[in-house]
Amino acid sequence: MPAPKNSGARFILRAAMAAVALAASALASPAAAQSIGAQPFDYSPGRDPVLQPCDEHYHRGDRAEAAVCYTQVSAESLDGAVRAEAAWRLGDLQAANAFFRTALELDPESFTIRERWGRLFLATHQADEAARLFTEALDLNEDYTPARLGIAAVALGRFEDRARTIVEEVLDGGGRHLEAHLISARMSLEVGAVGAAREALDEALEIAEAQDLPPLEVYSLHAAADVLQGITASEWTDRALAYNPSYGEIHATPAYYYLINRRYREAVELLFEAVRIQPDLWTAHAELGVNLFRQNRVEEAQAHLALAYQGDPFSAQTVNTLRLLDSLENFVVLRRELPERVVSAGVNTEVDAEGETAAAVSAETTAAAGGTIPAPGMLLRLHKDEAPVIDAYVTDLVADSIQAFTERYQFELEEDVVVELYPEHDDFAVRTLGLPGIGLLGVAFGYLVAMDSPSGSREGEFHWATTLWHEIAHIFTLEATGNLVPRWFSEGVSVFEEWSTGPLPGRHIPVRVLEAMAEDRFLPVAELDGGFMRPTYEGQVIVSYTQAGLLCQYIALEWGQQGLVDMLNGFADGLSTAGAIREGLGVAPEDLDRGFREFLEAEFRATLDVLEEWQGLTQATYRALDAGDWEEVVDRAETAVGTYPDYVDDGNAYIPMAMALEELDRRPEALDTLETYWRLGGYSPGALRRLGDWLHEAGRPVDAIAVYDDLIMVTPLNAEVHATLGDWMLAEGMADGALREYRALMATQPHDMAGAHYRLATAWLELEDQARTREHLLYALEIAPHYREAQQLLLEIVR
Amino acid sequence: MRRFEGLVGRFVGLMRRLAGLTLALGPLWLVAPAAQAELYYLIVGGLGGEPAYANRFLAQTETLADAAARSLGGDARVTLLNGEDATREALTEALQGLAETVTPADTLAVFLVGHGTYDGLAYKYNLPGRDLDGEELAELLGAVPAGRQLVVNTTSASGAVLESWAKEGRTLITATRSGGERNATRFAEHWTAALSSESADTNRNGIITAQEAYDYTERMVAESYENEGTLATEHPQLTGEPADSFTAARLAARVALTQELERLFAELDGLEGQVQALRTRRSEMDSDVYLNELQALLLELALVQQRIDDARAEE
Repeated sequence: MPAPKNSGARFILRAAMAAVALAASALASPAAAQSIGAQPFDYSPGRDPVLQPCDEHYHRGDRAEAAVCYTQVSAESLDGAVRAEAAWRLGDLQAANAFFRTALELDPESFTIRERWGRLFLATHQADEAARLFTEALDLNEDYTPARLGIAAVALGRFEDRARTIVEEVLDGGGRHLEAHLISARMSLEVGAVGAAREALDEALEIAEAQDLPPLEVYSLHAAADVLQGITASEWTDRALAYNPSYGEIHATPAYYYLINRRYREAVELLFEAVRIQPDLWTAHAELGVNLFRQNRVEEAQAHLALAYQGDPFSAQTVNTLRLLDSLENFVVLRRELPERVVSAGVNTEVDAEGETAAAVSAETTAAAGGTIPAPGMLLRLHKDEAPVIDAYVTDLVADSIQAFTERYQFELEEDVVVELYPEHDDFAVRTLGLPGIGLLGVAFGYLVAMDSPSGSREGEFHWATTLWHEIAHIFTLEATGNLVPRWFSEGVSVFEEWSTGPLPGRHIPVRVLEAMAEDRFLPVAELDGGFMRPTYEGQVIVSYTQAGLLCQYIALEWGQQGLVDMLNGFADGLSTAGAIREGLGVAPEDLDRGFREFLEAEFRATLDVLEEWQGLTQATYRALDAGDWEEVVDRAETAVGTYPDYVDDGNAYIPMAMALEELDRRPEALDTLETYWRLGGYSPGALRRLGDWLHEAGRPVDAIAVYDDLIMVTPLNAEVHATLGDWMLAEGMADGALREYRALMATQPHDMAGAHYRLATAWLELEDQARTREHLLYALEIAPHYREAQQLLLEIVR
Repeated sequence: MRRFEGLVGRFVGLMRRLAGLTLALGPLWLVAPAAQAELYYLIVGGLGGEPAYANRFLAQTETLADAAARSLGGDARVTLLNGEDATREALTEALQGLAETVTPADTLAVFLVGHGTYDGLAYKYNLPGRDLDGEELAELLGAVPAGRQLVVNTTSASGAVLESWAKEGRTLITATRSGGERNATRFAEHWTAALSSESADTNRNGIITAQEAYDYTERMVAESYENEGTLATEHPQLTGEPADSFTAARLAARVALTQELERLFAELDGLEGQVQALRTRRSEMDSDVYLNELQALLLELALVQQRIDDARAEE
C-alpha cells in the first residue's frame, strides 16, 4: 500500500490530536462514519426480532442488503433502542448514542438499554463508561447475565483475572450463554491452554447452532487455537469465509494471539490478510500500523494508522501512535557496525563541536541503503538532543551484549538490531503497548528494542544499561526460537543475564519477591507464564520475573549454560515448556520444580529466616537517620547489613550507614561501606559519586574511575560526571577514555563551553593529534580569549 | 559607603572585609572606569516572614553587597537595605537619593531579594511594614537618571512587572515568567553565587556580565528542580537592553594602573575587538582561513596578556 505523503500524514495527525480529547468525551462529537462490517455481534436474548432479517444479511457479509434493511428499520421503528441498534450497524455512532440516551430517558429503569449502550461505549474504547452502565444495569437487575458478561468483557480487555470469576459464576448458574464460553475460550488461549479453549468453543458452537446465532466468533477462536498449535491452514478459516467471505476477524483474531506471544511477523501477515478481505476493519488497520512500526516499517505503519484513524477516531492507541510517529522527526537514526565487522568510512567518527554526528543518517536514507549493508549491525534511534551524549555508551553496550549472547546462546543475529530510547516515558509506552501509563521500562519486538531513555526518569530511578542488556537478551531468545519461546523462559534468561553478564553486578531480589518466596507463592514452571499474563495478586508480575530468573540460574548451575541452550533449541523446535524441559534437561517438569525448591532453600533459607528481623533493623536505621542519631544509625545498619548483606536496592542499610559514619568523622569506614555497597551492585547515583570522590581523595584514582564508569551506566547525561571522569582518566594516562568523556561533556552543551573545548584539546594532545588540539584550543579561546590555560597551551603547541 | 539622612539601613563594613578578602584567582586585569561614569548598586532584602527566609535573605543580600563592593573597589556606591531596616520608607528614600546623585552617564544595578505577591492586578514587593507596589517602584526606578539600569527582581511573582517595568536603557531580569508563579523562588540563591563564581564567567575575563550571571542562574535554577524531580515553579526572564554589555560584578578587586599597564590593556582591548570582528565574519570565511586568522590574533593576545601578568607581578 502506498504511504501517504508527509503533508497528508501531518493533516491526519492534527486531526488525530484533536481527537485525543474526543476519545475521552463519551461520543460527544460527531463521529466519522463507521463501517457496517466492523460491529461486534449481539448475542443477547432480548434482541428485538425486527432486527433479525438485517442481522442475517450482516452476519453473512451482505453489506448492501444489510444497510438497506437497517435503514428501513430505523425509519420505521418508534423504539429508540431499536433505532440505536440500526444506527450503530449503519456506522452512525453519534445517532446510536443519541437514540440510546433518548430511549433511556423514556424508560429510565431499563437494564437492557443500559447494557446495550454500554456495549456501544465498549466498542468505542471507552471501557470506564461501559463498566458504569453495566453496573447500573446490574443494580436494576442483578441477575441480568448480558450485563455481567459486559463487565467480564471489560475485565478481559484489561487482563484482569476477575473476568474468569464472572464467567465461571455465569456458567455455574446454568443457562446457555454463548458469550460466556467465548470469553472463557479467549482467556484460555491467552495462557496457551488450547485444550480448555477448544472445549469452551465446542460448547459455544453448539449454542450458536441451537439458537441460530452467528458462529463466526467461534470459528475465529478455533482458528486462533490452530495457529497456537502450529496449524496455519485452518479448516475454521475456510468455514468462516464460506459463511461470510469478508469476515476479516477470521485473520485478525488469530493475529492477536500471535501478538501476545510475541510472534509479530506472523501477526502482521495475518493482519494484512484481514484488511485485504475487509478493508474497513479499522481495528486490524490499527494493529497492523502499530506492529509494522514495531518492525521499523515506519511509512507503512503510518499509512495503516491513518486509515484506522479515519474509520475509528475513538482509539487512543491509534491517536497516540500517530502522534509518536510524527515526533520521530526529533530523533536521529545512527547506524553502527558491530566491532568484528568491517567499519565503513565515517562510522564511529567524532561527534564534533557543533554537535554534528558524522554517521548520522535519516531513517529514509537507511531504508534506502538497506540493500547495500552487508552484515547485521545496529540502528540506534535516539532523540536528537541526547544522541551525541549517549551514542557511544549505547553502542558499546549493544555490541558487548550481542557478543556475549552470541556465544552463550550459540545464535548468530541475521538482521540489524534496532534500539530506540525515548526521553518521554509515555512515548515509550505508546511504542510498546499503544497506550500511555504502562510501568514497563523496555520491550523487545524481535530485532527491535524500545525503552525509556535515561532522561525519561528521575536520576537513578532505573539502571538504563541493565534494562538495555535485558532487552538485547530477549532478541536472542525470541529470534533463536522464531518467537516460539514462552514468556517465562525469555524473561528468565534476560533476568539471569542481567545478574550474570550484565553491567551491574549481583543478583537483585526485591523484598516483595522474598516475601512471596517465604509465603510459597512461586508457581510451578508449567504455570509460570500465567504469573505474567494474568496476575492474581499485586506484584505477581515482578515475582514472576524474578522467579524465572532464578529458575534459569538454577538450570545453568545444574546443567550448565548448555542446559539453557538445549531448552532454547527445544522451544525452537516447537516444544512446550514441559517438552523443552524433558528434551533439553532430561527431567520431568515436576522434577525441575523439586530441584528448584531445593536450590531456593539452599540459597535463601537463611535470608528468609531473618527477613522480618532485617526489615525491622532497616526501618530502625532510617528512623535513626531521620532523627540524626548517627551512632544509632551505625549500630542498627551494621546489624542489618550483617543480617542480609546482599541487599543493595531501595531502602538498603549501606547508604545511611556510610552517611552516619561520615558524620561521625569516620571516613575510612564510610568509604569501606560504600565500596562494599558498590561491589555488590548498588547504584544510587549520589552514593556512587560520593564513593568515587572519596576514593580519588584517598589516592585510589583507578578505583574512583571504575566507580564513575559505573555511574555513567545510571546517569549518562550528567555533564559534571563526564568532566570529572575525563579529568581523572586523563591524569591516569587513559586518553582514549578521557576523550570519550569530554565528547559526551561537549554534547551536553555545558555552561562552560570554553572549558569543554579546552578539555578536548588536552585529550587530543595526549593522543598526539596536534591539529585537533589546536582546533579545540582555538574554539575555547574564541569563546574566552582570556582563558589562561588555553592561551598557554596554544603558545606551547605553536612554538 | 553611601548613607542617606534618616536612613537606618544596615551598612556593613565592606571595605574592612574586602581588605581580608582572598580570591582563589590568578591575576586579573581590571580596567579603571572612565572618570565620568560610575556604577551604583542598590541591594534590598525584603520581608522574610519565616526565620528561615529572613536569614536567607540577609545572607544573600550581604553576599551581593560584598560582590558589589569588590567590583567597585569599595563600598562608597553600594547601598544595602535588609532586615527590619528595609522598609518602604527606607527604600523610597534610597531611590530618591540615587535620583539626585546619579547622572545620565552613570549606571545603576538594583537587586531585589525577598518575596513578592501578585493579586491579578498589582505586584507588591513585601517589606517590613507597608509593601511597595510595582507601580510605585517603577516610578522610583524611572526617576533615577542613569543611562543604563540593570534591575533584577528575584522575588516570587516578579514576572508580573515584566511589562510595566520595561524602559529604554534598562535590562530587566525577573525570577518568574508571570505573576502567577507565586512560590518562593530559588533565583536569588543562584544569582548571588553567580556574581562570585568563576563558573559563571564563561569567557574567563574576570567580569561577570548580567548575561553571564543570568545564564548561570537560569541553568542552576532549572537543574535544581530537575534534580529533585519536581516541576519548576519559576522560569526566569530577561528583557530589555542587551545584558552582555552590563558588568554585574568583577571577580577580583580592582587595582591601580600604571601607564604601562594602561597601554597594554588598551592593546588587549584592541585585539579583543579584532577577535569579535573576525567572529562576525566567520560564516563568510573558509574554515581554515578563519582558524588561521583567529590563531594569529589569539597568539598576539596571549603574548600581551603575558606581558600584563609580568608587569603586575613586578609591582
